[in-house]
Amino acid sequence: MSDVLSDAGDLSGEEESQEDVLTPAELIARLEEAWLNEKFSPELLENKSEMVECVMEQLTHMEQNLQRVKKGDLKAGIHRVEIDRIRFVLSSYLRSRIQKIEKFFPHVLEKEKSRGDGDPSFLSPEEFAFAKEYLANTETYLKAVALRHMPPNLQTVDMLKAVPEPCLDSFVFLRVKERQENILVEPETDEQSEYVVDLDEGSQHLMRYRTIAPLVASGAVQLI
Amino acid sequence: MDPSEVEFLAEKEIVKIIPNFSLDKIYLIGGDLGPFNPGLPVDVPVWLALNLKQRQKCRIVPPEWMDVEKLEEIREQERREDAFTPIPNPHYMELTKLLLNHASDNIPKADEIRTLVKDIWDTRIAKLRLSADSFISQQEAHAKLDNLTLMEINTTRTFLLDSLNYMYKLRSNMQPGTGPGKTQDY
Amino acid sequence: MFCEKAIELIRELHRMGDGQLPAFNEDCIRQVLEEMKALYEQNQSDVNEAKSEGRSELIPTIKFRHCCLLRNQRCIAAYLYDRLLRIRALRWEYGSVLPATIRFHMCAEELEWFNQYKKSLATYMRSLGGEEGLDITQDMKPPKSLYIEVRCLKDHGEFEIDDGTVILLKKNSQHFLPRWKCEQLIRLGVLEHVMS
Repeated sequence: MSDVLSDAGDLSGEEESQEDVLTPAELIARLEEAWLNEKFSPELLENKSEMVECVMEQLTHMEQNLQRVKKGDLKAGIHRVEIDRIRFVLSSYLRSRIQKIEKFFPHVLEKEKSRGDGDPSFLSPEEFAFAKEYLANTETYLKAVALRHMPPNLQTVDMLKAVPEPCLDSFVFLRVKERQENILVEPETDEQSEYVVDLDEGSQHLMRYRTIAPLVASGAVQLI
Repeated sequence: MDPSEVEFLAEKEIVKIIPNFSLDKIYLIGGDLGPFNPGLPVDVPVWLALNLKQRQKCRIVPPEWMDVEKLEEIREQERREDAFTPIPNPHYMELTKLLLNHASDNIPKADEIRTLVKDIWDTRIAKLRLSADSFISQQEAHAKLDNLTLMEINTTRTFLLDSLNYMYKLRSNMQPGTGPGKTQDY
Repeated sequence: MFCEKAIELIRELHRMGDGQLPAFNEDCIRQVLEEMKALYEQNQSDVNEAKSEGRSELIPTIKFRHCCLLRNQRCIAAYLYDRLLRIRALRWEYGSVLPATIRFHMCAEELEWFNQYKKSLATYMRSLGGEEGLDITQDMKPPKSLYIEVRCLKDHGEFEIDDGTVILLKKNSQHFLPRWKCEQLIRLGVLEHVMS
């Protein structure tokens, strides 16, 4: 397990240095992958604020160029349709994240708190601020409307216990991008025994998210 | 996932069009397209093909597989075999719908194609139901789903995944102390 | 029976479909809080008695009352939290200004929560990318390069469509427009989709 994780760490390190030379087309492909992964994974994935920033830059740049073009121009029309398509994916991606942050806010914040110095952050600074405000706002609300009127020993609610955690045992559909060997499949019932499967490049599978979560993080599999 | 989002992804597939206008190369964020010359075939994503078609600026060349003979062959193979057979395009269903709804005048034998694709789809969805059923009743933990398309997966996604998750919760609640339901105790 | 009022709160939300917000049931909450106060006071005096006079037979009753207190607390928290989730969804559906009919069903603290939520979300969206940020409550559906026929229900003025052409939206005029450009105007009642 630790090998898998350190490999993943190396990979993402490499990717970061390559990020500078990504072509805009590759950037958009990355965004679409991140969009589907975030949509289908039960938990919040690592933030990709650098990618988001680059996509926003591309959109702004293109929109500025278009302002110089005369109205009704065919070329400009095509560019506008593309901008709308990219903006949709970007918004939908960020929406999925905000929805998960709201759904799991105490757990998301707890994970962020217990994060080691070198570990990547799951929340962007802006998302972190949003999550903190959401927690404070909700706590203030519960206190003001009911908890402060309750007996002294019942005036707090442990949010970590009250708000459900993401269910990592959910099943997900995935497509393999880099071949993986010996992935352990845990049995569903006591009568079954565990076994291993190989995930061939290009093959598609249905299995528990928990088993392949590190592979989603490293980019070896794509959720579909 | 909303079906409109699967369709959105299908619109990235490339088709050939024959434009009736001239235009230099376009440098889109997602890559270069063109140049466009009247009467000369050029590759574009489906979203652009449909956009131009609606403005009567091009004719769409149907994809090679969108052909009665080829589809009949696929239909027979799909009916003959128990497994999902390889399909000529990962978005065959959405593309058929999009192209037939908006460019049927460019596609020979459009009605026959519509029926054939519907038959192939129905056969595959029936297989999918059977395998989902056996996956659940055998309590499997892993399934290989090669050759299934995103739209096919999507038709069963919510129902299948919700069922599996509920069953998992029921099973783990039967073993006290091991389940995920630690949040709800009193 | 204890906790009956608390269950009533849960049932009330359960009966309403997803996304509907019934009037804030202040009266019921007050009654649950009163029951909690009474249970707590009885327990206080029983605990004292059990301690000072060694009456250990009181302990099961004390435990029972404590369970009722926890259950009441849990039901109220669940009621309030579920309402917040519904109110949150309203921000995404209606935008930052809620219709009066809905505001009427919210208590003052809920309105306060909503305003704060609105502010946090706006701050977050402004922080995305360039100076203007990105409004992620828009673009809810994939853009469609497909056009639809619409009729104008009221005068709206000039409107720019995707290829940069400007058209005049005049009452009763009909247009052939990209569908995704019209979505918001249809929701606002400016345009109506003409089914052919």
